[in-house]
Amino acid sequence: MGDQNIYLSNIKRSVLVVDDEFINREILGGILEDSYEVLYAEDGQKALQVIEEQGPLLSLVLLDLRMPNMDGFEVMKQMQQDVVFKNIPIIVLTSDESAEIESLKMGAADFIKKPYDMPEKIMARVKRIIALYEDRMIIQSTEKDELTGLLSKSYFFEYASLQDRFHPNRSMDALTVNVSHFHLYNELYGVQEGNEVLKIIAKEMEKFANAHEGIACRSEGDNFYLYVAHQAGYEVFLDDVIAAITGDTTVHNTQIRIGINSEVDKSESLEMSFERARMAGDSIRESQKEKIAFYDAKMRQQRMFEETLIRNIVDAIINGEILVWYQPKYNVEEDTPRLVGAEALVRWNHPKYGMLSPGRFVSLFEENGLIQVMDEYIWGQAAAQVKTWKEKFGVTIPISVNVSRIDIMDEHIVETICNIADSAGIDRKDLHLEITESAYASDTENLVDIVAQFQKEGFVIEMDDFGSGYSSLNMLTVLPIDVLKVDMRFMTNLMEDEKSLRMMELIKEIADFLNVPMIAEGVEEKEQMDILKKMGYQMIQGYYFSKPVPKEEFENFIKG
Amino acid sequence: MLTVEDLKSYGANVDEGVARCAGKEELYLRLVQKVLDDEGFDILAETILERDYDKAFDIAHRLKGAVSNLSLTPMTIPIEGLTESLRAREERDYSQDVKALREAKRQLEQLINTNERVF
Repeated sequence: MGDQNIYLSNIKRSVLVVDDEFINREILGGILEDSYEVLYAEDGQKALQVIEEQGPLLSLVLLDLRMPNMDGFEVMKQMQQDVVFKNIPIIVLTSDESAEIESLKMGAADFIKKPYDMPEKIMARVKRIIALYEDRMIIQSTEKDELTGLLSKSYFFEYASLQDRFHPNRSMDALTVNVSHFHLYNELYGVQEGNEVLKIIAKEMEKFANAHEGIACRSEGDNFYLYVAHQAGYEVFLDDVIAAITGDTTVHNTQIRIGINSEVDKSESLEMSFERARMAGDSIRESQKEKIAFYDAKMRQQRMFEETLIRNIVDAIINGEILVWYQPKYNVEEDTPRLVGAEALVRWNHPKYGMLSPGRFVSLFEENGLIQVMDEYIWGQAAAQVKTWKEKFGVTIPISVNVSRIDIMDEHIVETICNIADSAGIDRKDLHLEITESAYASDTENLVDIVAQFQKEGFVIEMDDFGSGYSSLNMLTVLPIDVLKVDMRFMTNLMEDEKSLRMMELIKEIADFLNVPMIAEGVEEKEQMDILKKMGYQMIQGYYFSKPVPKEEFENFIKG
Repeated sequence: MLTVEDLKSYGANVDEGVARCAGKEELYLRLVQKVLDDEGFDILAETILERDYDKAFDIAHRLKGAVSNLSLTPMTIPIEGLTESLRAREERDYSQDVKALREAKRQLEQLINTNERVF
């Protein structure tokens, strides 16, 4: 095995012997069985079945070429076409030298001639090819962290995943280890002493990892990762680390913070397992007392909650659990406020969790793209509602809907929204599209282009959350916008804070300069409204008038 | 019970065969007896008679692999000749080779039958 495989040297790997001749299979099995887990297949088809079942757990395939049903060449071809199987090395078993070149071309790693060489030679070849391929898999650059000698982060993850492959049932803990306020160490004690602390931590971690079937790495700065067989507690480990630092350096009162994801869920990626450990560690960042934090029931519960929502969303739409509520927008330019539109806002009436506001699920669905499914549904509902109210009351209430930056990444987005408006039978200008200001910050060019297309197709574009800090004034001149919306919740205490007041005035001046109307949302009190009205804000939305309400209730506003 | 001494007297390169089985004498003896159960010997003769050389080659090639791995020299010599001719799909008289293979197999069977079969 390669030097770097010391972490895996005790693992009994699986080898598949494929040959239609029983005698040959048995002889190879006899040679290999003491050192390897030997699996057998008598033709190509059966070989592929075993490969399918074993997946990346298979370390090598010893493959005869001439076989009934499916020959060895076809097996190689099919393995090459699979992202996982193509990384399993193949040694071809053949008495036919002329087949060697073609086999090599098809990805064979080596040959064993028939009649077989002596067992020692076969064993050496098998061992060498497995080591070669595993080393290749464990990334090309076999770097270690220069300062501490621990594994580098990427190397660490490769090894950890290999360990999991070979020991799928071993219960493992993922730990993050940090030094609290390490950034001060260099100033307080000097760079050399700071580095010394990191080296001591690394040494203790390696010692612990070696004793507990694990591995350790320094991910960056003062952040370390440890992946070890499950332990009941880590207090002794923590004490050892601190004692070593105190004993060997001038640094005193070092505070080490350990985040633990105990008995990781192996169906998740390792990166995610460590992310959860980090979350646990971060939860005690400010605590003076707590040094060890477990990824706990509350955090786990949040994860379960998120997973449930992800699983339920499609059915929720079908079952009518996703509700579209409406919040009125009033024009306040005259003495009597006049209803001029509504914003469609989502609620989820979840059978288990009750009524959920968008804050509980929108960013989750933005992360995994499910927001598109939900948004399309809301757009359709809103468009239909414009039509219904027009028929029922003879007035047009334009409704604005949110369009996420994730939605905009969809190349068919313009077509989709056009179809929704058209098939509802409404005028496109009555469906306002709210695009968050922050969306303009990433991939500006594409977004400006898409928004311009919407505008050209007749939709009204409202820039949401304006002033929350992303746009440069320069960019504002190129953005296709019809309305600017500013959320009062971003303003701290408008009545007393001079800076917030000035900001609201400035935003209004920008809107005037761009010649677009302003909507202030999140307005809760009469005083706020009076100030905004005085500043020249034309439209107001917020609890002062009404919270978001179901469509039936909203009809009271239409009736006046 | 069949012994390595019997097989040596038969002409097999027993040392080589056993070494190939990782020194496991018991495995070697078991496989030698197992190879005789192979229906391929009979089918090979039939397919050659029917001049179905494609099928005959497949069988000969497989049997050659088995007997040569066991170093059963008396069988290896005729089966090698057959395999190479069949690989080239030669139109020739195969009867001598088939007969030699049968005879070698018969001698081995006789050797085993005079002993007690393990399996």
